[in-house]
Amino acid sequence: MQRIIVFYLLYTVQPLKAQELFVFTESASNMATSGAGIRLNNAFMKVTKSARTEYLLIPELMFGVSKKLMLHGAVFFSNEGGTRFGFNGGSIYGKYRFYSEDEVHSHFRMAIFEKISTNNGIIQQPAIDLNGYNSGYETGMVFTKLLNKIALSTSFAFLHATDNSGHHIFNYGASRRNAIGYSLSAGKLLLPKEYTSYRQVNLNAMLELLGQVNAGSCLGYLDAAPSLQLIINSVMRIDLGAKIALISKLQRTAPGGCFVRVEYNLFNLFKK
Amino acid sequence: MTKIFLIITMVISFEASAQTLKVNLQASGLTCSLCSNAINKALQTLDFVDRVEANIKNSSFDISFKPGKTVDYDKLKMKIEGAGFSVAHFTATLHFDHITVANDDHVTVNGMVFHFLNVSGQLLDGDKTVRLLDKGFVSTKEYKKNSSLTRMECYKTGVAGACCTKDHLTAGTRIFHVTI
Repeated sequence: MQRIIVFYLLYTVQPLKAQELFVFTESASNMATSGAGIRLNNAFMKVTKSARTEYLLIPELMFGVSKKLMLHGAVFFSNEGGTRFGFNGGSIYGKYRFYSEDEVHSHFRMAIFEKISTNNGIIQQPAIDLNGYNSGYETGMVFTKLLNKIALSTSFAFLHATDNSGHHIFNYGASRRNAIGYSLSAGKLLLPKEYTSYRQVNLNAMLELLGQVNAGSCLGYLDAAPSLQLIINSVMRIDLGAKIALISKLQRTAPGGCFVRVEYNLFNLFKK
Repeated sequence: MTKIFLIITMVISFEASAQTLKVNLQASGLTCSLCSNAINKALQTLDFVDRVEANIKNSSFDISFKPGKTVDYDKLKMKIEGAGFSVAHFTATLHFDHITVANDDHVTVNGMVFHFLNVSGQLLDGDKTVRLLDKGFVSTKEYKKNSSLTRMECYKTGVAGACCTKDHLTAGTRIFHVTI
């Protein structure tokens, strides 16, 4: 498996054109001012030592407040823990780009981000997941570089889990409520070979490494998350991805699975 | 009656020549068509913009304007920045009627003040393309490099100041620094 990952990574970073519309992480770039995005995120996660698959549905709205600030709002629905499929909570995410150095076909950008999530599900794992499993918050920084047509993005974040609503306690100990999250993402445009029109379908391939180390137990996990992305008419995105656990020292109930996202972008909602 | 027609014709021809004929700009910091489309759509929201032709491969945009509308270069730049990117290259094609320009000197053309840099003294007549060198209209690196072309403060501020009093420019008047 590791050989496959290494081969994929090498293949991915060979230069053609870079893409940084990452599937599992956010780059340091924002969407356009007054632009909005509507997302329907679907995750199908295989429960460990069980035949069961958890389905997580996350409708999400994104809005470009200014050239430096964008906001996301999401709501979570799932059948986690074998419960009946239903509403679990929501999250608010904000990203502020504070540094940008642009050149033609390249840039280096830095942004800080904050995420606040609420969830009403039973807490069944010490790994902190603010995308539909834990209530809590995350504060982080992301760095994105396009260099020689390679898009690379890395992020570091501090995560804190609170108790979930409905008296669902995070009972792994106070020190384990905190964690460090990190990621490394690379992306490449496969098609078209040459841009001629906004109507061309774009095909992007990406590989992301997603990790977390718990501050209390010092145990962690690392996932490889390959994905393919279609961009249609330069307004619509379809993302197909998978999460494969490379290191699993920190216990999770459903570490691996598939991901499908449909996103539609709207431009200039408020004309100035 | 002939005189009236002559006056009307003169006024119309002055108004026509007051227009920037076209602008070509190259945006920096992007590679994807979705990003380019965000710029394309943003430029089209400006009331003086008639058509935008995008070259996605080069991230460049040819912009033509509605007749009779005043073209605002700063608003064009702000639309690129609002979409999340920067301007790397910005040229404007203007009509000049026997305008003499000199290096490091101000010239008022059809109500717009231009500060010519890195040019030899010459007479401009007809349609000419100038390249803007102001902050935000070139890369940061190039803006710093070009700072050696003039010692006038208006290059930094973009508006008329103490350096521009000899040319009788009102303080605060927008000045575009250009080269040919």
